Amino acid sequence: MVSLLMKILFMSKEELSLLEILIEDLSFVNWAKNHNQNDVAFWNNWIRQHPDKIETVYNAKAIILGIKFNKTQVSETKIDQALSDILALVEVEEKSFKKEKKSFSVIKYMAMATTLVLFISLAYLFIPTDTTVTHTTLFGEIIDLKLPDGTSVILNGNSEISYDKNTPRNINLSGEAYFKVKSIPSTKAKFWVNTRDLKVEVFGTQFHVSTRNNKTGVLLDEGRIELLLGNGTSKKMKPGELVSYSNKDKITTHDKVTQELSYSLWREGTYIFNNTTVYEVMKNIEQAYGLKTEFIDEELKGQKLTGGIPNQNLKICLSAIEKSTGTRIVVKDNRLIMFKN
Amino acid sequence: MNTFSEKALWELFTEGDQNAFSSLFKTYYPQLYGYGIKLSSDSFITEDCLQNFFIYLHKNRRKIRKVNHVKSYLYTSFRREILKSLKKERQFSSYETSLERGRSFGFSPEELKIEQELSHIKTTTLAILLNTLSTRQREVIYLKYYSGLSTKDTMEVMDISYQSVLNTLQKAFAKLRNEIEDREISAILKKT
Repeated sequence: MVSLLMKILFMSKEELSLLEILIEDLSFVNWAKNHNQNDVAFWNNWIRQHPDKIETVYNAKAIILGIKFNKTQVSETKIDQALSDILALVEVEEKSFKKEKKSFSVIKYMAMATTLVLFISLAYLFIPTDTTVTHTTLFGEIIDLKLPDGTSVILNGNSEISYDKNTPRNINLSGEAYFKVKSIPSTKAKFWVNTRDLKVEVFGTQFHVSTRNNKTGVLLDEGRIELLLGNGTSKKMKPGELVSYSNKDKITTHDKVTQELSYSLWREGTYIFNNTTVYEVMKNIEQAYGLKTEFIDEELKGQKLTGGIPNQNLKICLSAIEKSTGTRIVVKDNRLIMFKN
Repeated sequence: MNTFSEKALWELFTEGDQNAFSSLFKTYYPQLYGYGIKLSSDSFITEDCLQNFFIYLHKNRRKIRKVNHVKSYLYTSFRREILKSLKKERQFSSYETSLERGRSFGFSPEELKIEQELSHIKTTTLAILLNTLSTRQREVIYLKYYSGLSTKDTMEVMDISYQSVLNTLQKAFAKLRNEIEDREISAILKKT
């Protein structure tokens, strides 16, 4: 990556274009495909420092991701028919020159042996030694996880879960995540999510936990859960309910949620806002992307916004907010500067 | 098939192995058929050219030993075959005239898959957008993403420079991205 930076820094017009460098750089390709966390972090940071290159960066990403096609199939019978037609036509030609398959198979076996050796050495590399497993997401990154017991977790940006390999149903969370807990009816094994404010105790169920804004909010989609709050009390929850608690101010809220929820919809790549103030909307974006908003016009904070905002792509996200609130948002360093248009 | 076994197969074929020929045929007939249809929009011309092309390969197999990359060699030669036939058929002289006028490389919504990245638009919209690109842009997209050719192979097949493959891709995607983002934003605003 260092040599790449040098390449970019000392690039002159006659030399390689930035686009060319990017699409051939493995680390950049990883960023585009959201593959390697180090590469994702490196390039997110690079983009923040080079806002003028954003167009080229997103073009390079589009070229790497490309367009996916459903391939048209040609039926076997048609191929066979075409082949036998051609073989009939060339039959006048000799049938001689019988194969010498030996060299072919030797090479093939050699290739297979090499592959095997490679796999074995790779397997060694990946044998873990520590028993704590941690998954961390970066700003703006959402990952799907499958825990060893079959539970699925969708981890939102800037969040972390960890657990001990020996107790994979006892999870620590900071940030925001959605859980679909695999129930194990035979043993009635419980599943726990620990945050700094409370402990969620569950059987098989689906729920959402967020530790943003100095409190922990739990929203239950399906099933039944019990919360053990930091103040020693406990709370039973029914589907559709939202409980939040903070160890700081010891305030508990317990509401029935009727509206389409803003809480869980980030999973599908959209924030849904329902008469939400611009201030809160920006808070959401700040936490997912690790940015800070500066309001040039204070009254903007109170303006209400309703609708869906895509959250996978910061540029589209901001431009949707700009258009629906009649503002301009300028990204500078790690700050979003928002003012009336 | 990977490049390695492909090369071994090709060698066997040039040594006269009939099974190797059948195997190559079965691998490449469907791919080249698809490419031919996109180039000519005509299944008769495509099938005719394919037959001539494979007979030519079979006849001349001992002369065409040295091939660096089988796939790009086959695409390049077959493309030439189709263009020759289109030229005869339509009396057009250049790439532009023979392909542009013949509505080459049109894409249908059924051929497209939408991934999360583009989740807000439909395949019908994407097909419309793709079809507004130039024929050259669409052919590059077809070769690279549909047929899975590398940028270098695409350059060889279309007989243009590496830089111009990249420029073509960049222009195509810049246009697509702008259109898609505009549509996404207006779709979002409609909801509010």
